[in-house]
Amino acid sequence: MRMMKKVLAGIMGVAMLASMTACSKEAENTTGGDAAETVAPASDGPVTLKFSWWGGDSRHEATQKAVEAFMAKYNNITVETNFGAWSGWEDSMSTAFYAGTAPDVNQVNWNWISNYSADGSIFLDMNKVSNTFDLTQYDKSALDQCTVAGELQAIPVSMTGRIFYWNESTFEKAGISTPKTLEELYAAGETFKTVLGDDYYPLALGEYDRAILCVYYLESVYGKAWVTDGKLNYTAEEIATGLQFIEDLEAKHVIPTVATILGDGAESLDKNPKWMEGKYAGIFEWDSSATKFGGALNEGQSFIVGDYMKDMGEYQGGFSKVSLAFAITENTKHPTEAAMLMQYLLNDPEGSAIMASERGIPLSKAANATCKEKGLLNEMVAEANGKVLAWVDFPLDTQFENSKLKGAPDGVYYDVFGGLSYDEYTVEDAAKVLVDGVTAVLEG
Amino acid sequence: MNYTQKQKLGTVIKYIILIAVGFIMVYPLIWMVGATFKTNNEIFSNLTPFTAHPTLDGYKNAMNDYGGSINIFKAMFNTYSYVLPKVIFTVISATLTAYGFGRFNFVGRNVLFAALMATLFLPQVVMNVPQFILYNNFGWVDSEIYLPLIIPSLFAFDTYFVFMLIQFLRGIPRELDEAATIDGCNSIQTLIKVICPMLKPAMVSCALFQFMWSSNDYMGPLLYVKTPSNYPAAIFVRLSMDADTGFDWNRVLAVSLISIIPSLVVFFCAQKQFIEGISAGSVKG
Repeated sequence: MRMMKKVLAGIMGVAMLASMTACSKEAENTTGGDAAETVAPASDGPVTLKFSWWGGDSRHEATQKAVEAFMAKYNNITVETNFGAWSGWEDSMSTAFYAGTAPDVNQVNWNWISNYSADGSIFLDMNKVSNTFDLTQYDKSALDQCTVAGELQAIPVSMTGRIFYWNESTFEKAGISTPKTLEELYAAGETFKTVLGDDYYPLALGEYDRAILCVYYLESVYGKAWVTDGKLNYTAEEIATGLQFIEDLEAKHVIPTVATILGDGAESLDKNPKWMEGKYAGIFEWDSSATKFGGALNEGQSFIVGDYMKDMGEYQGGFSKVSLAFAITENTKHPTEAAMLMQYLLNDPEGSAIMASERGIPLSKAANATCKEKGLLNEMVAEANGKVLAWVDFPLDTQFENSKLKGAPDGVYYDVFGGLSYDEYTVEDAAKVLVDGVTAVLEG
Repeated sequence: MNYTQKQKLGTVIKYIILIAVGFIMVYPLIWMVGATFKTNNEIFSNLTPFTAHPTLDGYKNAMNDYGGSINIFKAMFNTYSYVLPKVIFTVISATLTAYGFGRFNFVGRNVLFAALMATLFLPQVVMNVPQFILYNNFGWVDSEIYLPLIIPSLFAFDTYFVFMLIQFLRGIPRELDEAATIDGCNSIQTLIKVICPMLKPAMVSCALFQFMWSSNDYMGPLLYVKTPSNYPAAIFVRLSMDADTGFDWNRVLAVSLISIIPSLVVFFCAQKQFIEGISAGSVKG
């Protein structure tokens, strides 16, 4: 036993020494990087860039085509691609970021910037390559969302927000039009129950959908952002009104209880037979998800984008978030060429036409104009995205999607909204749990 | 009812029960085959393997070759090009290691054995980053011949197999080793000529488990294989899965079905040995 302790102590000592040397090495590297303010200009010799993204078939195809077109245009640059599905992608990329082997240009999730590069050491400050990459195509407010540690670490490709979608056919069957106001929505709950039956609901919301709608509601009523400067802006009393709103929706037969949705036995609403048949006639989803939910419906049902409800409150509540972004790694050997690739994919009329709306409705003004002109955007997604961006004006807190809050099934949102629906919590208790949970995450 | 009739009736009842249970067990597989011909809407709305509107889109899309960089057959070839060496190396290295721990007394054996067993409880997630950094320093990441996936198996990296073989080895009487020594075998000859034939069922289970786990491994290739043309089937299957905008499940299921065929064949061929290996280990260990 003693022998073993000695061995263990020895191993730990060695491990600690090793980790110390690793730290000092890293420190040297970062100072070295900061000293170089300007980046190397484009070289004439052969350059090899690596480019990574995640997505589905059509995105892979479009992006590969765009990359090939880029290589045809710039003969001396070879782009090696690395693509896959979302599952596990973040683990794979985070390891590469830590080891310093990440590709030169990467598709990144918005929260990666603050998660992996809070000090700006992983991603290149795009201001350094602003001669090559045209930053003027983006609104300052959008770029601000990607500015962490005073550096513009990524370029947002598209923005997304939640909006209502309705199954018009079911509303027609009930003999009413799709709701434009909260009052009409409440009335629809009643009509659905009496005309169509207990199984029919004008809207279906899972736990996380409820959390987002609740925040939209609160922002509409109180006119302040959910979180500012890392502090929750709402008191438990104020939050209780938002929770009461969700409770009312349930009580007025507008939304099914969480138990009912779970009882349907589907993993998500787009796979829920009641959504496919039109028994649930509305959802509150990301604008980019329109095709997924619309495509899931049985044949012959018409699916439309709804409107925000103006009588929710005095303000225009709700937020939009960067759906995904492109970033250049700090340790790339060819920052200028990397920026050229991004410029081609995101702003250039030729490249952006090939990329079209594979990553959402492009935020870049030039790309957006190109796609609109050539009719490359999915009409419904474009309509939803337009409505979202025209309406919402609150920023999203970087921690809003923290897995401790959003994670199923033990995240705080699930606890609060599930507990409320199951009557395990009173509105006051639930508000307190939500405040405590969010505060704990914000304080780290 | 006489004895033969009773026996016949018993057999009939046994078969009915076996067929019913067997059907329930195989049902997911049958459903999967049926689902490859369905649309998303039908997949999620009914549980029967039959479809009213059969479509071949799943198989057509399964042949998608991503701009010529990778297709399903190339991906399957890639999978087996590292799974087979891995299986062979694992069996050899795990057997050698188990033989060492099971039969020899050397300095530090207990400490080393404790360390070995401790790694059994180390989750893969914890090792991802340090391993990645190590292999990266060796320049093995994105190696054409899958070095980071194959090399660890040369060093009995999968403790579980070593443990399993040691347990099995304990059931083989030492007298056999002694007899071999008297007959003039050295240690290695004893292992090859006496121990290995006795260990065979356990070694086959090791090989099969490693075969299944490595073919299904997703995280390993995702970390170390960065060039699309080298992607194995496990990654290829998921390439089309875009959670955001949705995707066709029939395509994913069709690709899965095609890519599990070799595994199924291997399993059926080795079934007898496999079952023997599992049960033998449990009784004697």
